[in-house]
Formats: sequence, C-alpha cells, structure tokens
Amino acid sequence: MNNEETLLSVTKSEWIKFRTVRSTIMGVIVFAVLTIGLGVLITATIRAHWATAGFGRRLTFDPVSTSLAGVLFAQFAVGVIGSLFITSEYSSGAIRTTLTAVPHRLELALAKLLVLVLSMLVVCEVVCIATFLIGQAIFAGVVTPTASLSNGADLRAVLLAGVYLALLAVLGFSLGLILRQSAACISVFVSILLIVPIIMLLLPQSWQNSYEKFEPSNLGTSMMSVTPRADLFGTWSALTVLLVYVVVVFGVGVTMLQHRDA
Amino acid sequence: MLKIDHLTKRYGATVAVDDLDFEVKPGVVTGFLGPNGSGKSTTMRVILGLDHPTKGRVTIGGKEYRELKDPLREVGALLDAKAVAPGRTARNHLRALAASNNIKRSRVDEVLEFTGIAAVANKKVAGFSLGMSQRLGIAGALLGDPGVLLFDEPVNGLDPEGIRWIREFFRSLANEGRTVFVSSHLMSEMAVSADQIIVIGRGKFITQGSVDVLTATAKGSVFVRTSDNTKLTSTLRTRHGVVHEINDNGLSVEGLSSDDIGRAAFESGIAILELTPQRASLEEVFMDLTADAVEYGGHAIDKTSDE
Repeated sequence: MNNEETLLSVTKSEWIKFRTVRSTIMGVIVFAVLTIGLGVLITATIRAHWATAGFGRRLTFDPVSTSLAGVLFAQFAVGVIGSLFITSEYSSGAIRTTLTAVPHRLELALAKLLVLVLSMLVVCEVVCIATFLIGQAIFAGVVTPTASLSNGADLRAVLLAGVYLALLAVLGFSLGLILRQSAACISVFVSILLIVPIIMLLLPQSWQNSYEKFEPSNLGTSMMSVTPRADLFGTWSALTVLLVYVVVVFGVGVTMLQHRDA
Repeated sequence: MLKIDHLTKRYGATVAVDDLDFEVKPGVVTGFLGPNGSGKSTTMRVILGLDHPTKGRVTIGGKEYRELKDPLREVGALLDAKAVAPGRTARNHLRALAASNNIKRSRVDEVLEFTGIAAVANKKVAGFSLGMSQRLGIAGALLGDPGVLLFDEPVNGLDPEGIRWIREFFRSLANEGRTVFVSSHLMSEMAVSADQIIVIGRGKFITQGSVDVLTATAKGSVFVRTSDNTKLTSTLRTRHGVVHEINDNGLSVEGLSSDDIGRAAFESGIAILELTPQRASLEEVFMDLTADAVEYGGHAIDKTSDE
C-alpha cells in the first residue's frame, strides 16, 4: 500500500468535485465582487473626503488595511464555500458515495483540506492583491501615506489577508464536519464572527479589553494591518491564535467524521 | 465472497440488525428479502463501512471494507440512486469517483455507454429521472469492474423495460462469476431475479435457500369438494387436519396431503368431486415467514383501533 499515492488520487478526486459544483463558483464570484467592490467604495469615499479629514485621522491612516476593508465582509462568502464543500455532500446524500469510494476517512478529510487550502489561497491572494492595487490606484496623488507591494510590511499585510481568508474557509469546512447541515453550519459560522463580538459588548469593559483580541475578525484585522492596534495581538501572534482555532476545530471535526455513522 | 459474521447493529435503543450470520456466494444472484424496516439497508451500510457494527463484522474476501485499497475495484454498490450532488454532471460525478480509486478515465465513458446514459453524460444530475439516476448509480458501481456488487432496492422507480434490463443485467453479472447481492421488500421481484434468497425480519435471520426450496417447504393447502363436506370436516379434524370452509361447496385443508384426504374420504364413504393441492406462492411464503416480523403492520380496515 502506498498511502501517499492514495492521498494524491483522493485529492485529485476532491479537486474535480470542488470545481464542478456551482456553489464553489458562485461563492468565489460573490467573494471577489464583495472584496473588490467594497474596497473601491471605501477607498473612493476616503479619497473624496481626504481634504477635510482631521489631523488625527491622517496620522493613524493605514492605506493597506483600509483598502482591504471589504475582506471583513467577504469572509462570510469564504466561510460558506468551506462549509458547503462538506455539508452539501450530507444534504444530497453524496457523502455515502464518497465514503464508499474512500473509506479511509482521515485521508478523505486531509484531501479535502488540501484542495480547499490550496485553491482558496490562490483565489484569496489574487483577489486581495487586486483589491490592494486598485485601492492604491484610487488613493494615488491624493491620499498619503501610500503603500506598495515592494514594501515588505505592506506586502506582508496583503498576503496575510489572503491567508486569513483561506483559514476562515477551513474553519467553515471544519464546522461543517461537525454539524453536517449547511444551515446550522453557516449560522454558527456567522455567529462566531458577528454575534460573539456583540455579546462581548455587553460584558464589563475590563473583560472586553482582555478578550476582544481573541475574536476572529480582530485577529484578521491584526494580520492585514501594517501596524496592528496596540490593544490587539501583533501580526504573527494573531496568525498563531487563528491557526490554533482552526487546528482544534478541524481536529474535532475529523474525529467526529471517523467515529460517527455516515 | 461476502461474509456477514454475527453482525449486530444498534442505534440507541433500537436494534436494527440482530446477530445476522450468513455468506453470499459468487456466481449466483442472492436476494436479500425482508419487509420495510427489517434491517436490509443497515446491513448494506455496515458492509460498505458507512456504519460501524455494534458487534460482529463483515468481510469481503477476508477483509473488512475499510481495509480495501481502491475499494471500488473490489465492491460496487448502489444504495440510493438520488444520493448524488445534483449540480454536477453525470460524467464529472463518475470522473471524481474514478480518480479517487486510480481508475482510468476511459472507463468512465465505457460505463456511461454500457448503462445507456452516454447521451446525457454532460447534463446535470438534478434533471435526471429516477430511472436515469438508477443507471448512473449502476455506472458508478461498475466503474472499478468489481467482483462483488450490492444493490439496495434497485427496481424501485424503474419502468417495466428498466426492470427487465436490470434483471438480465444481474443475471449476466452472476454468470461472469461475480457475487451479486440484491435487497428487496418484494418477494415477487426476488422470485424472478434471484437464485438464492436470504429472508430477514426485524433485523433477525429467518431463513435461507433457493427459491424452489423455500416454496416447497412452505405450508401448502389442499382444496377439496365432496358429496358431504360436513362429514369430511369432522373426519379430517380427527386426523389433525386444519379445515376451513371456503364457501358452500368447498374446503381448504392444511396439514394433510391430498393422498391423506383422498384415503380419508374413501374410508368414510364420501365421494370426492374435486381435489386440488394448492401450492403456496412465493409471496405467501414470504408473508407467512415474516408475519411476526413486520415492523409497521397495517390494521384490517373494518377493525378500528381502540387504544
């Protein structure tokens, strides 16, 4: 038995499945339109009002994270892509065909993970770089400071925005392994990103200050900022915390996949 | 060869399969018969490694399903024809399956051609009729040219032409020396398509045998019409026959052969006008065997439930 060979063939199979359903294609289009569209909207608005912006606003202005602000909306599309990659198989019943072809469930989960991470990294990086470039073109000549991909810190922030999104796709996928239902999975995913921060606002200020930085969106904000806010995690710590989340949820998902009846 | 080895499967408090133990041999079509809810599909799912057995095991050529490398090359299965991603085309569905088990791409076109759905190969599965989906499911089962084939209720939803096609297809698979295991809740279907039948009810093994043997061992009855039915009835009852009056001029007798009845009538001086052994149909055999094992029985219409 050659396990590497098998993992490769299962990955090929999952790649065919991933790109041949409409939900993936639609998800990618929605994601790209949201990220780029909101990026254009936000950067254009800032350019239009730059002349009247206050000194403080200008001083703390981050041209990178501002141009990528659409990411914090588009992350939901990415989560849906990841979720549906597994939950749609449960809703159609196709999971039984899949598991009949690939009874080794860890291998199946790893193959799906590989397909999702690689494809989403490519898509998200391309979209983030495009959004960034369009944003900087809109800022050019009016808004300062400017940012450029030739600047190491700027490039890092742009690339980590793509990494953040790819990891959220994996988070959605891992929740899907646990919950198996599309609606439940997407609700939980949205709750984690939107509702938890709202609940956080109801907590005492001191708790907010300690826990706010653990919210996934704030980890994302740190990752795509040139200079992260002082009350949040630094860039690499934020990436590490997010990785821990994803690995834990994926681990739970795979364990459940292995032990439950399909 | 497929071996079910003291298999038990529980879902919470429900026992779906209770200590099933049998073998399915190659070269013949084996029917797996039982009323709805008797554990046929559960058994199929455990065979395919989809559900974990509570006790016992299932082996295919000595190996559990999960130990098989490229399982589609050893076992082909059609559980639920509609369990396919609706947005994908038939060809892409099969291509993904083939890729996962290192089956060459040209095989996809072969099975599409063989099952007669090549013309709709590039159409989305969502638009398929049940019959077309069944054919796609069969195409998937044949993809790896496996030696063992499982079909769960394959004739459901097929038109008469499709049913005939599938029967001949099972026969040809068995003739090629493959193990063919087909579940159904329809005895009449099994009577024409299977050589061997395994009957289960409420998850328990009931009986196993060839179609002919099963019918022969079933309780038969004899129809008899005589010059004095009343007298014959009492005579037969003393000989432990179970006698039912069918109408004014005939009796149905169980537990005695037509020879017994003929002699009894002769000795009592009754003239026999008609004496016909009634061979039980396979359907009756089945009803008889599973009478105690029907999970969801209907009540007679004239008896209202007074629970």
